[in-house]
Amino acid sequence: MRLEYFQMVDRITALDIEGRRIVTACQVPEQSPVFEGHFPGYPILPGVLMIETMAQTGGWLVLAMLGCTRMPFLMQVEKAKMRSFVSPGQAMEAEAHLVHEGSGYAVVKASITASGKKVTDAEIRYGVVPFPNDTLKAAMLETARRVGLSEDYIHAA
Amino acid sequence: MASTYETVAGIISDTCDIEPDKITPDSHAINDLGIDSLDFLDVAFAIDKAFGIKMPLEQWTQEVNEGKKTTDEYFVLKNLCKNIDALVAAKAA
Repeated sequence: MRLEYFQMVDRITALDIEGRRIVTACQVPEQSPVFEGHFPGYPILPGVLMIETMAQTGGWLVLAMLGCTRMPFLMQVEKAKMRSFVSPGQAMEAEAHLVHEGSGYAVVKASITASGKKVTDAEIRYGVVPFPNDTLKAAMLETARRVGLSEDYIHAA
Repeated sequence: MASTYETVAGIISDTCDIEPDKITPDSHAINDLGIDSLDFLDVAFAIDKAFGIKMPLEQWTQEVNEGKKTTDEYFVLKNLCKNIDALVAAKAA
């Protein structure tokens, strides 16, 4: 994870399109400017970044299901619970499954575990729209390869 | 069993915090009830779940943008309910 660049997902470790489920690995860095402010003398991963991590994980599921032809933008977070603190250096596993694929929107339920313990969960909704420009599309495809999304799901884009 | 309209009105009332007596079959979801796009996402999700359908919102929006349909044809509640009934019937067929 590179928190200051919003790179929350390191790699996709499992993707089951038929089962509508994805798992990602997200290694919290030992050091980040984020921890200087959150909090001085007691660094913990901000809850909003846990939510972002779940949103990106679910987002990769939606992207994969659509062959990276459209972009899911975060629109709504429901029932987000921060159940436990996450410290610098902890390894996290994020999981998301698709609850509903609507017309122009998608809904996932997502959670993160760290050290075998669920640390957060939420229902996340996306607006799913055509890529607004080629720059974003190219960056997303590059990132898709970085996180290990199979070419099978990038090809259509 | 609740009618389509009763179910939809209930969803809108609950989701958008609108008094039930302000909702009528002739209400326009956007123009009269003031439902914005984010709240309509909630409404659409609840309707899709309640009726086991996928409302083709993108197609409807495109038809409105192209001038083929008016927003009344999709977003006045009695018309929305007719469209929902048609989608339910098509799914059952």
